[in-house]
Amino acid sequence: MKKSGKILYDADPGRAFYEGRDAFLKAALEAVSQQFSLDGASFYEYEEKTGLLRLKHRCAAGVSFEHEENLRPVPGSAAARAIETLKAAVSKSPGGSFLYSPFRFDYCDPAGGRSVIPCFGLVRLERSPRKRRFSPAETARADAYLRSFLRDYYKAEFFSLYRKYDKNVAAITELTEVFATALRVRDSFRHILSGIQTYFGFDRVRLYLIDEKNRKLKGELSADIRGQIKSIAYEEIPLEPGAHRFADIVLGRSSGAFMERYKDCVLYMPMAVQGVTIGLLIVDNLLSQQRIEPEELAMLKSFGGQIALAVDNSRLFDKVEELSLYDELTKLPLRRYFNQRFQEEFYRAERFKQPLALIWADIDFFKEVNDTYGHQIGDKVLKETGRLILSNLRKIDFPCRYGGDEIIILLPQATGAEATRLAQRLSQELAELRIPVPFSKTRELRVTMSIGISTFPADASTQDALLEKADDALYWVKSHGRGKISLYSDVAEEKKKAEQAGGSNNAVK
Amino acid sequence: MIIWLLSDYDHRKHLAFKSLLTRFSAAFPSAQAEFSVKSRHSLWESLFAHLRDPKRNPLADIIEIPQNWTELFSKLGLLADISSKIEALAQRRYPEFILKELCHEDARAFSAPWWLEAPALFYRAQALKGAVSDPETELASWEGFRAALDRVGAGARRGNFRALSVPGSSGSVSVADVLPRVWGRRGGLFSDDFNRATFTREETAGGIEDWLELAVSGKIELFSPDRFENGPRTPEECAFMISSRKIQGSGRIGLKMLPYPGYPSGGGLMLVYNLAVSASSRVPDEAQAFVSWAMEPRNVAPFTESFGVFPCLKPVFEEHLRDERESDVYRRLFSAPELKPNIMVYPTAELLLERALWNLSLKIARRDYEREDLTRELIMAQGEADYLLSLY
Repeated sequence: MKKSGKILYDADPGRAFYEGRDAFLKAALEAVSQQFSLDGASFYEYEEKTGLLRLKHRCAAGVSFEHEENLRPVPGSAAARAIETLKAAVSKSPGGSFLYSPFRFDYCDPAGGRSVIPCFGLVRLERSPRKRRFSPAETARADAYLRSFLRDYYKAEFFSLYRKYDKNVAAITELTEVFATALRVRDSFRHILSGIQTYFGFDRVRLYLIDEKNRKLKGELSADIRGQIKSIAYEEIPLEPGAHRFADIVLGRSSGAFMERYKDCVLYMPMAVQGVTIGLLIVDNLLSQQRIEPEELAMLKSFGGQIALAVDNSRLFDKVEELSLYDELTKLPLRRYFNQRFQEEFYRAERFKQPLALIWADIDFFKEVNDTYGHQIGDKVLKETGRLILSNLRKIDFPCRYGGDEIIILLPQATGAEATRLAQRLSQELAELRIPVPFSKTRELRVTMSIGISTFPADASTQDALLEKADDALYWVKSHGRGKISLYSDVAEEKKKAEQAGGSNNAVK
Repeated sequence: MIIWLLSDYDHRKHLAFKSLLTRFSAAFPSAQAEFSVKSRHSLWESLFAHLRDPKRNPLADIIEIPQNWTELFSKLGLLADISSKIEALAQRRYPEFILKELCHEDARAFSAPWWLEAPALFYRAQALKGAVSDPETELASWEGFRAALDRVGAGARRGNFRALSVPGSSGSVSVADVLPRVWGRRGGLFSDDFNRATFTREETAGGIEDWLELAVSGKIELFSPDRFENGPRTPEECAFMISSRKIQGSGRIGLKMLPYPGYPSGGGLMLVYNLAVSASSRVPDEAQAFVSWAMEPRNVAPFTESFGVFPCLKPVFEEHLRDERESDVYRRLFSAPELKPNIMVYPTAELLLERALWNLSLKIARRDYEREDLTRELIMAQGEADYLLSLY
């Protein structure tokens, strides 16, 4: 393990480089204690607003330690004089001899901002009552010695700020890339959250998105300080004024709607794209109670637009993908998607030696429906058929609008008999369906379906063969009066019988 | 091997640890060990800094923590399970009241209890002459103690004399100051089922107010300039001291001890400090070996004795109790001891209360404190603690 507080280059005051503030304080107090035969040395920061001296570090009896104590110097005392005049002062009391060496320097923000960061305080050197007091010459020497050390403090402070700034620049570069490449919802939300978590290191980051349809703010994901990401889909907040603090923020009814800070530790950031709020990002340091630094707030704010765009983009991407895979009219997957799933299901059936049934259905006289009643009515028929199919399937079944009025349904782990039962149910429900046709005499339209079924492994051993056999069975139905259901095995049997009879039956080719 | 030790107002603790480590190095010359002393605030920051960026902010191999930080940092994955590695833990050689808060869900333990302290009241019989005739009875209740403070203060304001001294004070009123009194009024930061924060409950707010009143009435001096110039008052300069440490030479200066006011029959809040091995330690065996070694009676006894606290290890604890000059009072103190709950959000809740107390301390020091300020601060802190409970 790397030793913290180790001097990296040089122990001489004014020319050393320390790994952080604590390392500097330890080295400075130990060095001055040794150099001037002290019994104790303490480093205090001075807070002008409250007039308090805040003990940060102390070295006594050869041990350096951090300590917290907030005390006020007696007005007119040596310590108060040192702070006021920024000149070293000494005092003697029954407790011993003391030398106060003040320091004050302001340094510019390395990020190039206009802000100046002040550093104000004093170092107290102590000698026990038995020892000699600090002479003027020794006071001057000790003060000069400490001042040369404090140049290193300046460097250490500046360096730590620079490191922070450097980290922020890296964050900007890498987060921009994360947000720009975030495409798929499932992955991109994770990327966005873990990106924020990695570079800002909040206790938690939570993402909520608006569900416009249901007027709700829905939880998506939460990332914790350990980088663990979990779903918060169980969180649903009605998007109504007064329903919840989050809802008020999103609705712009909370003060400082865009960036609202809650006690320094929480930041609520509504996300908007082109003026429309799409969600809410919440970051907090509630567990650690550590203040979210103003520069972090500013940077996150500047990322707000990008985060919102990334979130919106990924949602749009999913929408586009959905449109390219699903038929908008019937809500059934399209042929391209079916081909992919068919392959997967076929492999699975082969590997696990499970049955796989395929239903090929065709709406009877669909062309005539279109020609007679128009495409609007035809579309209604398709839409209702799609709805009816989707409402009758198991979760593992996979339907598809194969083209025109042809529909295929994959039934994993289903036998021919099970597929037939489903086909019968679909046929029956479709036959009971009444499509309103306001301009026709009958005022309504009824439709039927012809259905052919094939099964793996009974009827076919390959994908193409399975499709072909279902098509054959469908053709048999269509050429034998429509509105019926045929299993390929039955059709093959019929064909065999016909051939044996030496007839010229051409039903199955 | 790096060790982070919690900073203490009594510098003797740091020196005692240095000596302990010197003995360890002599016993195990191949083990390279060094320590740094971190303030509570800095330790908290370092642990979270490690969570945020482990590479840039490595943890020490061994960390001293308040016992009620164990649940939080073990759940955050920073502490190693040492239940089977430390003999004292494996054999559960601790008093029952300590074991009770050691681990919750299972038999695993992520820190080993090391030392404990018990807040108590000390008084100089000579300074109470004419003000308190029967200390044992009159100082048993908080009201009795408070009235005695007034009588002592009124009669003896001279030189450096102070009626009350609190050696562990950080300058402002802190959680460590108020919690023993809160416990004394049977209050607490959370309800018994830990479903809600109870900062504003009468018992809790009342306990805090009792202590703040000492500051408002000038019985304790906040941000004491005198302390900055002269250091803490010696026992000879005070009538009363509230301290959780045994006071060196108390017999010589006529200092006597009583249970914390409000606990006439003893019991109350005990503060326990544990040693933990970090989960990311590169030398876990060495670290566990050190913790085991530090827990051995011959090592823990002189360490704790040096700064006036009790060892947690049961046989040594009992031996200390037997040999103690004020053993009767200590027996009463340890008759019904309670520890701060070891739940995940408790340390954060303490920070919330600490912030509220800091704001109130500044107001008291500026002399513009009003009772409503306390109510407002506690309501805000309670709201945040409740919210935390809903999250973790």
